[in-house]
Amino acid sequence: MNHEFLSTDHCLKCNICTASCPVASVTDQFLGPKAVGPQAHRFQHPHYALPDVSEEWCSSCGTCTIVCPHDVPVAEMIAKMKERPHRETPWRDRIISRPEVLGRFAARFAGIVNRLINSSRVRTALDRFLGISSKASFPSIARTSLRKSLRDYYVKSPNRLEEISRLTVGYFHGCSTNYFEPLIGELAVRILEALGLYVFLPPQVCCGLPLQSNGLFDAARKLANENIKYLTPFLREKIPIVGTSPSCMLAFKHDYRSVLGIDTEEANLLANSSYDFFEFILQFVPEDVSRINYNKVTALALYHPPCQLRGHGIGIPALTILRRIPGLHLEVSDLACCGVAGTYGVKSERYQVAYSVGEKLFQQAFALDVDFIISDSETCRWWISKHTELPVYHPLEILARSMGII
Amino acid sequence: MPSFSTELLVIGAGATGLGIAWDACLRGIKVVVVDQSNIAQGTSGRYHGLLHSGGRYAITDPVSAQECASENTILRRIIPHAIEDTGGLYLALRTDPADYAHEWLLACQKIGIDLEPRSLDQVRRREPALTKAISQAFQVNAASLDSFDLLNSLSHSIRKAGGQVLLHQRVNEFIIENNTVVAAELVSELDQTTMHIGAEIFINAAGPWSDQVAALAGVNIPLTHSKGTMIAMANRLTHTIIHRCRPHSNGDVIVPAGSVMIIGTTDIPVASANDLSIQQSEIDFLMDQGEELIPGFAKTRPLRAWAGIRPIYNSRQYGINATREYSRSHVLIDHGETDGISGLASIFGGKLTTFRLMAQRVVDFVSRELQIDDECCTATVPIEPEKKEFIVLSNRTTRLLSSEKDISDSVICECENVRQSEIESYIQSSPHFELDNLRCTTRLGMGPCQSAFCSVRATEIAFSSHESEDLLADLASFIDRRWRGTSHLAWGQSMRQMALSRRLYFELLDIQQVSGDGS
Amino acid sequence: MTDILIIGAGLSGLFASILAAKVNADVTLVSAGHGGLSISHGCIDVWSKATPSRSFSRIRKKHPYRIAGKRALDIAIAAFEEITHDASYPFSGSLSRQLFIPTAIGALHCTALAPYSLAHSEITNTTPIAIGSIAGLRDCFPEMLVRNLRANGYAVERSIPLSLPGSEPCRDLYSTDLAYRFDDSSFREQIAQLWKPRLSGIHCLGLPAVLGLRQPHQVFQSFQELLGIKLFEIPTPPPSLPGLRLEKVLFNTAIHFGVNIILGSSATGLIDRSQKLKRVSGIKLHAANSSRHLKARNVILATGGFLHGGLIARRDGSIHESVFNLPLDYSENRPALLAPSIFDEQPYEKHGVRVNSQMQPLDLKGDPVYENLFAAGGIIAGADRQSEGSRQGIDLATAQRAVEAALE
Repeated sequence: MNHEFLSTDHCLKCNICTASCPVASVTDQFLGPKAVGPQAHRFQHPHYALPDVSEEWCSSCGTCTIVCPHDVPVAEMIAKMKERPHRETPWRDRIISRPEVLGRFAARFAGIVNRLINSSRVRTALDRFLGISSKASFPSIARTSLRKSLRDYYVKSPNRLEEISRLTVGYFHGCSTNYFEPLIGELAVRILEALGLYVFLPPQVCCGLPLQSNGLFDAARKLANENIKYLTPFLREKIPIVGTSPSCMLAFKHDYRSVLGIDTEEANLLANSSYDFFEFILQFVPEDVSRINYNKVTALALYHPPCQLRGHGIGIPALTILRRIPGLHLEVSDLACCGVAGTYGVKSERYQVAYSVGEKLFQQAFALDVDFIISDSETCRWWISKHTELPVYHPLEILARSMGII
Repeated sequence: MPSFSTELLVIGAGATGLGIAWDACLRGIKVVVVDQSNIAQGTSGRYHGLLHSGGRYAITDPVSAQECASENTILRRIIPHAIEDTGGLYLALRTDPADYAHEWLLACQKIGIDLEPRSLDQVRRREPALTKAISQAFQVNAASLDSFDLLNSLSHSIRKAGGQVLLHQRVNEFIIENNTVVAAELVSELDQTTMHIGAEIFINAAGPWSDQVAALAGVNIPLTHSKGTMIAMANRLTHTIIHRCRPHSNGDVIVPAGSVMIIGTTDIPVASANDLSIQQSEIDFLMDQGEELIPGFAKTRPLRAWAGIRPIYNSRQYGINATREYSRSHVLIDHGETDGISGLASIFGGKLTTFRLMAQRVVDFVSRELQIDDECCTATVPIEPEKKEFIVLSNRTTRLLSSEKDISDSVICECENVRQSEIESYIQSSPHFELDNLRCTTRLGMGPCQSAFCSVRATEIAFSSHESEDLLADLASFIDRRWRGTSHLAWGQSMRQMALSRRLYFELLDIQQVSGDGS
Repeated sequence: MTDILIIGAGLSGLFASILAAKVNADVTLVSAGHGGLSISHGCIDVWSKATPSRSFSRIRKKHPYRIAGKRALDIAIAAFEEITHDASYPFSGSLSRQLFIPTAIGALHCTALAPYSLAHSEITNTTPIAIGSIAGLRDCFPEMLVRNLRANGYAVERSIPLSLPGSEPCRDLYSTDLAYRFDDSSFREQIAQLWKPRLSGIHCLGLPAVLGLRQPHQVFQSFQELLGIKLFEIPTPPPSLPGLRLEKVLFNTAIHFGVNIILGSSATGLIDRSQKLKRVSGIKLHAANSSRHLKARNVILATGGFLHGGLIARRDGSIHESVFNLPLDYSENRPALLAPSIFDEQPYEKHGVRVNSQMQPLDLKGDPVYENLFAAGGIIAGADRQSEGSRQGIDLATAQRAVEAALE
């Protein structure tokens, strides 16, 4: 029995999802998660094409699924509707959904690339010809990728780890940390080591989520299966995987199965062995965590838990630790999504909606006059930073500061 | 009181009655149809949705089977907009009697019913949700027919052709002179006013109430009432009609209809035409039957259950327990011949698939009586639809998007995508506003939320043109009817949906404070 | 290990989490989704049949109110008023009188506490009022409002259609679409300019409840000032803003007091088998990928009734409590859940777990099932909260008592 029917059946039309949808509340171009998800789903038929129901306006933030009290996987239903044949996908989407390719290419010409992406002429041209919004945020390319600087941590197969007696964990850094924010990767490794863990970098490729968000399911599945292939030998040795990007980790935990439909034993093993960074340290090394001597970090900060983190269904683990840091005054944003939602806000035709979605967060930061903002997702950090002109840190950067690591 | 005459008065605006009136109009006969209630409140409106291929009666009633097969072709020609060509599959499961399928196949071939054997692979590719325990499969020409669309179109075409369709008019008395029925006195169910209609011929096509109507003329008709219960499931688990290929039984047909799927039926003798009560055991039974054909069926969500009464002419005067034995083919009784009361004839039996043929025979009879030569042409003249939006799924899916359509045309029923303009045209064409009739005409309120959101919206639209007391009372009665249709489905999501409805109506809206309790 | 684990983020769960966090307990709140506040009127119904303070002693002994005790109800109401006041979302009303607020179709709903924007104008039957309807908002019923409010004795002059600026929307608007716009002061100014000319001669205008989501009281007052007339809001069918506003206030207050909120994951109860005393050890949390254990010293079950899955009805007619499979008190094989008519009293409203004065769920003999498990809100048996008009009052009173008992 196709699970889809069971979940469509669950919808009571109560509008709880619609009420929480960040996109529907700022634009009437989007019919709303209920209408586009379970409501349209009832009319699906193998012979009649379901007409355009505005699913491209959905940013895939996942809020609808989280708030639904009746177990309707609304976001997943809509995500699946976005699947398009390759030839129907605009060039722009094919490009921006491949950050690993972009990163690898750009890394070779880091200096030039950084200058170009900051040039308003280049950005205007990209906006006009490719539809990449000139107002969206682009990260800078790091001169040295994480894998280059941490090449000693690279472990190809679990045989190399047989002698290790300490608790071992593999770090999935993802494209963004590798090419754009290697500092975060370095800090992650150092924090984990300070907590007594043995950390290594397994072979890995892009998680594939940007491809999935842009409807390129087959390409996404290819990457997914590669990751599964690389990581399974470690997982079978009961070695967990930790990530600092909640979106990548959500892909492992959830999207590979629920959206891409990869339901193998290995995919399930990966799902059950993947952890968000703070989730991991609280669960696996709680005593070491409780022994941390926190140095003061005097600041007023606004913490924005990203939509992808909420999708993990584990609450906000970073808060537990950040709250222990003396001198740190934290306000927590209640906004479900900052607007960028991965590649969504980068697109010219979506930019205005994405901006409206996150506007209240930017206003809140100004109103509170915070020193900096904290968010676990890379695209959130770049986006929020661009629109508030404030620094935006991964929570582990604050932890690292408090632990004296930086 | 108003009084007028016509040539033919048809009592009952179900498929039979309206079919008769349509045929009569085309033959130039002046005709009036009357019905005690609104359209589709009788058996035709409580219908499974099956346009028969004939296969179901191949062994037990070859004449019926043949009629179904040929009428199937004709109806596709004359009322295509009410038909979704789903195709049908006859499935013999491994647990069904082994040689029945072969016997059935021969019977079908003898009659000339179109069918093609299908391999298990083909079946599974076409309908992946079906059980794997299939031993044989055959594809037939069955289709899904929407009776509301049919009845509304018939009614519209009759009026266009000069006939009259008078609703909410119950026959109270026949005026009989010299053993001939010459007139009928009718009472309006809405305002109790009376009306007097004279006619040369009276046709009793009142379905389950035929015996009551005939009794008004002093004629006794041995009618048995057999109640059949059906359940509409929230989703179309298959897009093809599924029949069980086994000796005649209950609950073995599943029909995709619009955006839902209907499983039925049961066969319970009841004492009266108004006994539409549903037993929990019937529901349990139907869900179990569905599970045999589609594994997981019993876990999916039923939307609503309802019953219809089959009136069966009991010519052999059997006891009340053996209703399936009688022929489902139709019977026309000329009461002048059988009971000495001229001018009145009754028609029973048949199924919706053969309504046109039944009507043809009746109007042939009427023509002879009236000495009219015109031939029946209903097999070729199309029945025109009244509206542009139809029930069939393909039509509803193309209307899902708002940006290409008139944006200011509000979606009133979101579950079934019914627009404000549809409701406004309904209001324009129906002097009497009844939510249940609006439901039958547009499918408003027939989706998962069972009108929790749209009933009040629709009432508001009608407010500017109708009496508010009536509307509020109608609203109360409508939401109660929706409730009664789900009260035997008190499990899982259906239970949650009802809890939601009630919270909406009684806590958020406080509906009973303004509408009363519908009694 | 968390001190108090609360399951369910409806009114009773959210309220309980705040009460516990305010006294510095380590609180975790887990919920599969949002609760029923967005489908409610956002008011506190205590006892709609009559004046609450006068009716209490007449309520039967086994009723949740009597089990929790009047003291718990009084404290809970006071705590609720404090929470909402501190969040700049004040409520009007009290336990010693009945407050009547119009519903979306013009009926009068009797409640005890209502948010300021719904109740403040205290319209009498001589106050001339007008009903505003907003173009594009489908769930707006001006004709019914005018007719029914008049039938209820109010001096409704007329309804006034009001339009929105800008181009026509691409779809029907939800109340939340408008509420988000009203949060913006420049939008309010723009609308006020557009509407003011249409409102000349009007003293009091009823509007669908769309005046803001995040700072509703401030938005309401500023909009009133801009228009220069008295306003009152009428809750719409879901999404209902008064309910959503209250939900947001409670969520934000909970976060502010340090409640660890886990949304989007369901729970299965875990029994502590290591001890002789019957205790629960926490829950299995079913998150995005797999289950993990969440240990707790005390657990408060605030999962509600059938609507949001606290109670489950199966096809075979049996009913179950969905987290700990607690014993439910019914004798028949197939307990009646639904009365034939929607207008009858419904048996399903009364089903749930029986509790003692410590809010501990009881077994069929009357003993607590687990020492450290408590219940609050709709999961508790013995009250037809819909007919009584006692839903939110029971949520608050039982949550108060449950937190007290858990912290003892």
